[in-house]
Amino acid sequence: MILIVNTTADKSVSEALREELKNSAVEAEIVEASEMKISHCIGCNYCWLKTPGECSIKDDYEVILKKMIHAKQLWVISDTALGFLDHKGKNIFDRILPVAMMYLKFVGDQMRHVARYKDKFDIGLIYKGDPDVDYLKRWNERATLNFESKSLGVFSASEIKEAVSCMH
Amino acid sequence: MHALIINGSPRVKKFSNTDKILDKFEAGMAEKGATFTRCEVSDRKQWDDMRKAFGENKNILIAIPLYVENIPGLLIEFLETLTPKNDGTEIAFILQGGFAEGVQLRCGEAYLKILTEKLGCKYAGTLVKGDNFGIRFMDEKTVQKITGAYTDMGREYAECGNFFSEKCAKFTGPEIFPVHVRLLVGIIFKTLAKSGFKKAAKDWGCTKPLNYRPYK
Ligand SMILES: Cc1cc2nc3c(=O)[nH]c(=O)nc-3n(C[C@H](O)[C@H](O)[C@H](O)COP(=O)(O)O)c2cc1C
Repeated sequence: MILIVNTTADKSVSEALREELKNSAVEAEIVEASEMKISHCIGCNYCWLKTPGECSIKDDYEVILKKMIHAKQLWVISDTALGFLDHKGKNIFDRILPVAMMYLKFVGDQMRHVARYKDKFDIGLIYKGDPDVDYLKRWNERATLNFESKSLGVFSASEIKEAVSCMH
Repeated sequence: MHALIINGSPRVKKFSNTDKILDKFEAGMAEKGATFTRCEVSDRKQWDDMRKAFGENKNILIAIPLYVENIPGLLIEFLETLTPKNDGTEIAFILQGGFAEGVQLRCGEAYLKILTEKLGCKYAGTLVKGDNFGIRFMDEKTVQKITGAYTDMGREYAECGNFFSEKCAKFTGPEIFPVHVRLLVGIIFKTLAKSGFKKAAKDWGCTKPLNYRPYK
């Protein structure tokens, strides 16, 4: 299953994705997160040390988290601000922490946290606005290292066809 | 020199590692006669004052814990509300994280240059250092020891107004650990660190194993 989380209020991106996905055999679920209540991560570390795997913030993010761990791919649609994802897009990533554990290991020459779940999801970004695209690509490559997965690429909302060609 | 200092951590002041780092850093600044005003992004009640102070100050220092290779979502939310300046204001950063190697912070550091430009300010460098996750769990004496090194960096900032010196670059420590250190630390991760984490969890009232999977 492919999980697509739209953090923007613009449903036309989801619509365009739905339209494009009609012609493929991909099973995808689109979550409209702009209508959900999703807080920022408060860094409490409860998801590692008090209630392992569970976030202490009881809001709508739990719905996304539960789907995420069964997904093969996660796509985040985000508005951008200050050259990067806006806060709503970034919060989706900050709140992912429960999929990792407190335990540490080396992967190659760098430290990483051990994954909580066996199955991993690769991550793609679809952005609106005018970010520093090269940086966003670098960041997604780097961020996915933490989830033992890989970047599926970074696409503007006008490149839906290209993004969908990476969904399989 | 007077600086506006923003703690960019979403953690409440009492538990924030950045807060403890800043205590030491500011002590160094004060020794050199510099003054500062500190505010915390975790406290939304301060945001109006922080916006005003951002407009008024020419030397700004933002201290940031790395959150998934970049700045925390809450800090982005605050920064989104600022009006870019274009008046020669300089922003310097303290970037700190949990992982120990310098290389872990470079992607976040690269963004801080982009951010500064977007805010219409001049980049005054970033003081980069990892291995700070444990501060929250340490006793007072160990915290003093770990964060103490930031006092000298506070002196440096008060004198230079930036983090461009060789001394600041060296402060980061190794970019990656040599193989023999990785082997040793890898063993520690599987033994001492593991039992340390289990003990911390027990102290916090955790009743489940740390590898518990609630959603499977
Ligand atoms: C959601 C989240 C994401 C984090 N991501 C990283 C990371 O990518 N790299 C890193 O070295 N540390 C990471 N950390 C660890 C923090 O940067 C570190 O514990 C820091 O000292 C916290 O400072 P604070 O207590 O002031 O918030 C992360 C912590 C949290 C809560």
